Amino acid sequence: MLGRYVWADLVRNPRRTLSTMVGVSLGVGLSCAVLFFVDGLSASMTQRAVAPLPIDMQRVLTAPVGEDIRLAQRLDRDGQIRSGDKVRVSLEIRNLGRLPANEVIVRSLLPAGLDYVPRSATIDAAPIDHSEENPFANGPARAGFNLGTVPAGVTRTMHYDATASTDLDPSVTSVHSTFSTRESLAPTDANVPQSVPLAELASAIKAVPGVAFAEPLSFTDLSPGSLASGDRTDPGGVRLFGFDPSYTQRDTTIRLVVGTQQPGQALISAEAAASLQIGVGDAVRLRLPDGTQLEARISGIVDLTRARSLFASRKGADFETFVYVPSAIVLDQQRFSTDVVAAFERAATGRGERLKSPPTNEVDIGVTRELLNAEPGVALTETQQIGAAVTAVAGHQDYLVDNISNTLAVARDDAAAAKRLFVYLGVPGGLLAGILAAYAGNVLAAAQRREQATLRIRGASRRHLLSMLTLRVGAITGAGALVGVSIGYLSAAAVIGNATLRRATTRSLAISGVVGTVGGLLATGAALYITGRRSIDRQINQDRARLSETPPVWRRLRLDVVAVLILSAATVTAVARSAFDGTPGSVYEGRAVDLPLVLLLLPIGAWIGGSLLAARGFGRLLRGRRRTSRVSFDRTVRTLYRLSIRRRSWAVTDGAVVVTLIVALGTSLSLFTASYNAAKVADARFVVGSDLRITPRPDSEHVYRADDSSGFVVGGIESVTPVVYRVHNVVLRSRRTEELSSLAAVDPTAYRRVAPLDDSHFPSSSASAALDLIRDDPTAILLSVHMADFLQARVGDPIRVLLARATNAQTETKMHLVGLFERLPGFPDGADALMNISRHDAVVPSSSPDLFLARTTDQSEAGLARAVNAVRAGPGASGGLQIDTRATALAKDQSSLAALNIRGLLDLDSGYALAMGTVAVAIFVFGLLLQRRREYVTLRAQGMAPRAIRGLISAEAATVAVGGCICGVIVGIVMAVYFVNVLRPVFVLAPPFHIDPGSILAVVGSILAATAVTSVAASSLVNRLRATELLRDEE
Amino acid sequence: MKAGNSIRASGLVVDHRIGDATVRALDCRALSVAGGASVAVTGPSGCGKSTLLGLLAGLASPTEGSVTIGETEITALTEQARAAFRKSSIGVVYQADNLLPFLTVAENIMLQLSLCAHGTRRAGDVKANGRVRELLDRLGLGDLGDRLPDELSGGQRQRAAVARAVVHEPAVILADEPTGALDEANANGVVRLLVDLHRDLGATLVLVTHDPEVARLMQRTVRLRDGSVVEDSEASHAG
Repeated sequence: MLGRYVWADLVRNPRRTLSTMVGVSLGVGLSCAVLFFVDGLSASMTQRAVAPLPIDMQRVLTAPVGEDIRLAQRLDRDGQIRSGDKVRVSLEIRNLGRLPANEVIVRSLLPAGLDYVPRSATIDAAPIDHSEENPFANGPARAGFNLGTVPAGVTRTMHYDATASTDLDPSVTSVHSTFSTRESLAPTDANVPQSVPLAELASAIKAVPGVAFAEPLSFTDLSPGSLASGDRTDPGGVRLFGFDPSYTQRDTTIRLVVGTQQPGQALISAEAAASLQIGVGDAVRLRLPDGTQLEARISGIVDLTRARSLFASRKGADFETFVYVPSAIVLDQQRFSTDVVAAFERAATGRGERLKSPPTNEVDIGVTRELLNAEPGVALTETQQIGAAVTAVAGHQDYLVDNISNTLAVARDDAAAAKRLFVYLGVPGGLLAGILAAYAGNVLAAAQRREQATLRIRGASRRHLLSMLTLRVGAITGAGALVGVSIGYLSAAAVIGNATLRRATTRSLAISGVVGTVGGLLATGAALYITGRRSIDRQINQDRARLSETPPVWRRLRLDVVAVLILSAATVTAVARSAFDGTPGSVYEGRAVDLPLVLLLLPIGAWIGGSLLAARGFGRLLRGRRRTSRVSFDRTVRTLYRLSIRRRSWAVTDGAVVVTLIVALGTSLSLFTASYNAAKVADARFVVGSDLRITPRPDSEHVYRADDSSGFVVGGIESVTPVVYRVHNVVLRSRRTEELSSLAAVDPTAYRRVAPLDDSHFPSSSASAALDLIRDDPTAILLSVHMADFLQARVGDPIRVLLARATNAQTETKMHLVGLFERLPGFPDGADALMNISRHDAVVPSSSPDLFLARTTDQSEAGLARAVNAVRAGPGASGGLQIDTRATALAKDQSSLAALNIRGLLDLDSGYALAMGTVAVAIFVFGLLLQRRREYVTLRAQGMAPRAIRGLISAEAATVAVGGCICGVIVGIVMAVYFVNVLRPVFVLAPPFHIDPGSILAVVGSILAATAVTSVAASSLVNRLRATELLRDEE
Repeated sequence: MKAGNSIRASGLVVDHRIGDATVRALDCRALSVAGGASVAVTGPSGCGKSTLLGLLAGLASPTEGSVTIGETEITALTEQARAAFRKSSIGVVYQADNLLPFLTVAENIMLQLSLCAHGTRRAGDVKANGRVRELLDRLGLGDLGDRLPDELSGGQRQRAAVARAVVHEPAVILADEPTGALDEANANGVVRLLVDLHRDLGATLVLVTHDPEVARLMQRTVRLRDGSVVEDSEASHAG
């Protein structure tokens, strides 16, 4: 019965039902859209995280030199060992290679419960004259037994006995024996199968599902002067590679300048070819560590300056740093294995010392990119499974470096942080929907007051009315939720694209849908129910008139003032404790961003407390002075408007609160997004060093000089600086120590103009002052704080710098330390020192700038594109320049959170905020009409012109809209300041607070336009009201 | 008695569409009220009394027919013109007082004067204030002019509503159940007040009522049933 009545009520009052449902739909829609949005974007975080990876996975072979030694272990018992049993351990080491193995150490560790039988150890049947201790696990370090050299083809046998002090199961707990040699320091387990050759291993790995490619790669570094041709010798160190044409074809960063890669022949780097003045068809000689010479004919010249997979450091100290070696030779795999590895083996076994740079053999593995078309967590599961399968392929002989899984693990944590972040950013939207629903609920309750009174007269009890309310709210929220989920999905798809959204798993979308719906339902349903219930209680208590004049709780208890005071105290505490600093994330450092998300309560507190406080102030402003004793009706409409808003200021203020909340949210999100995008651009500029980075290709026919900078000042380019920079291009010596370092030489004046310098990165002075020092004093040098600390150098100390290290032009110059810096823009691999390029050119006259940094006249994307085109068409017309821009930069220090499409979130939130704003204004205007229709009709009956009534309604609505917009913009700016500071750790640089007046005006303009439209619509309805019936009825 | 305050209604028909059906709410072929006369309109609920009064006030338009007050056929006027006519020539009192809640009693009355006087004289002048004050004194509200409607009793509010209806000295006073929400004492007081003011102003008074006692105070009684006039009688004792 009650259900039928409620259903009939809902169906017969469609406008009322729909207007109430709109708030629910928008609330559920927004919360679902935000979660769907995050689901979709998580996949882009995967793409962002893996983009800078040079190699997805590496199978690194541990012992390419001297790997033909085998250790066999055997026990004379293969069943359960009882306490008191004696066990004989037999060890046999065999050298199957062609060369002797030196300093062979055998180690054999007994498990707990097995004790060595003193003096039982023998080698080749002869007792080992030793103490009571196990000679194969001797001393506190349990060191192994050194057999010395094991010649090629020789087998040595060892035995020792142990007694069991407890029952043991050898299959669970057994003896663990290993061996190592001077040639292969890493301990190798006994009884391991024979190593699978590199090519065979690569072939087996390639067959693993999910592996896109598996290419063998070998490389080693030869000492300076090892590369020669004819009578010319390259003075620098040489990187010698072994990989096949298939590797070259797959890796797009390897650019063949001329010729082809032929089996049995070699590729030579453009720099080495220039140094030796040779071309295709010429021959080179390589001096190998054993003193032999390897001759190879050159089949092609190659540009390797971008080949991160070849030059990304494999060493822990500077892992992934691009340590480029200009002189490089590429052999095919077969020749590298037979000639180069053999030479190293001979050198290793022939000398009494360890080789400094033994060859590295690895299989570079790429994961199928389609598998990464998912959120980081899902992609991580895939890559981990692939990693496990790859490891299982002959897993005994080496180890896997799973770069991609390590990266995705961080990205997964970043994605979780992003989800929390977006949920926080979506919370205001959800709350807003609840407030909107409550606002609509109040209007609904007012509209139903008469009906409920009638029902009570007919005998309906409070319980009946509450049951009906529950049914009504349930029906409205249920239908609203269905619509909300749909518009949530559609709006998220509209913002980020359906294809992106579909990357999310069905499970995550389903969870988001449920969470968003439940959250939205709770917020809006509770708001509707509570307002309705309060209205019923007022009716029943028959004191509506009195209660309706009672201010709401927040106003009576001054909760707004309390909230702002708490907010102020919390802010002071957070600043004092540096809580906004957080921990920046970096996928390369294996660290997810640590956002102090609890601080996001501050902007939400500022939003609610600020809006209420602003509304209180606005109300006070409207009330002005107390009631005047005599009122002049000279201007009837103006007087009525003035008296209405002054004596009923809270009616206007309540509307203004909702508009304030909406405008504040819209404003804060737009300002936050503007700041976020500005920070992303600033980060990218910092990575590139300016807007453009112009790098001459190594095969460029033109030899660039520092003076050539002016040649790059073409259309759209404002200023250019030449830069000399390479990783490990100098040796820095202080009084105490020296270190291989990366030095940048710049034109201080031009660098200051083009590079985004930050004073906070110069601890001892400002950026300008530091650059002035190296401009004014040619022998001045700036060091990074880290390097100065390592060198134990202080400002004023002399620093000797070996410039142009490992080149024909290398020379040492004496400089002195004048200042420190934390970091410099333009050197993502890190710069340890900075000096004046004019001094560098004076000391090394033959040096050429490695790159040029250019600032564009127009900082927009279009301006950037114009500048790039101008450089390509002008000085880069011959194709000898590589141009990078801030738009293509990938900062390895940057968190994958920086890849988030915050603009999309803004579009989403702003869209919903504007929709809610429009609905709120409409509810206010039509609510005003509903509540005051008798007044307007009375004025009509008294002869007031329709135009005047329209003016009265419009003026009150405009007061709400304008007051709400002003308060909202102020509160929104405060919120945005909080948002920007809380999200500071996402960026490399501290994000600047950026105000975008256009987006604020868009929010405000939309609210005002909605006000104007709804006011006109509402006014026209006044004339259609049935005046006779309205005026006759009792309130 | 004023010459320009007679009322003539001819061929008045008001139809309401409810779904596909049409319900005739009023079918008043002819009704004339002499200027300055007082007429009670009676009849059972839903017979069209209030509809008729709304047409006479120009607050609604008939489906057919015309209403002429004095020389002005108000059914032929635009909404703007009808509003202008209403504010100068008609005063309306309803069962609900319909006072604007944010204005004091005096301001409510002054507002009507202001609307009426707009463009011809300043409402805030001494004369207007004196007129309001005088009227409030006459209606026994002299000390309550500065109070808000919520601060008055029902009878006081209704007297204030009467004051607002007559302050601009309208040619026609229309009252729709003005005593419906009042106790007997207050009801009698309000009706007598209306009768006295209509006499003093020479205005035509049309009063819708259920109460035969109230109807008897009018010079004439028109009885409606199902939207049509079924009885039209002079009351010999009415003043």
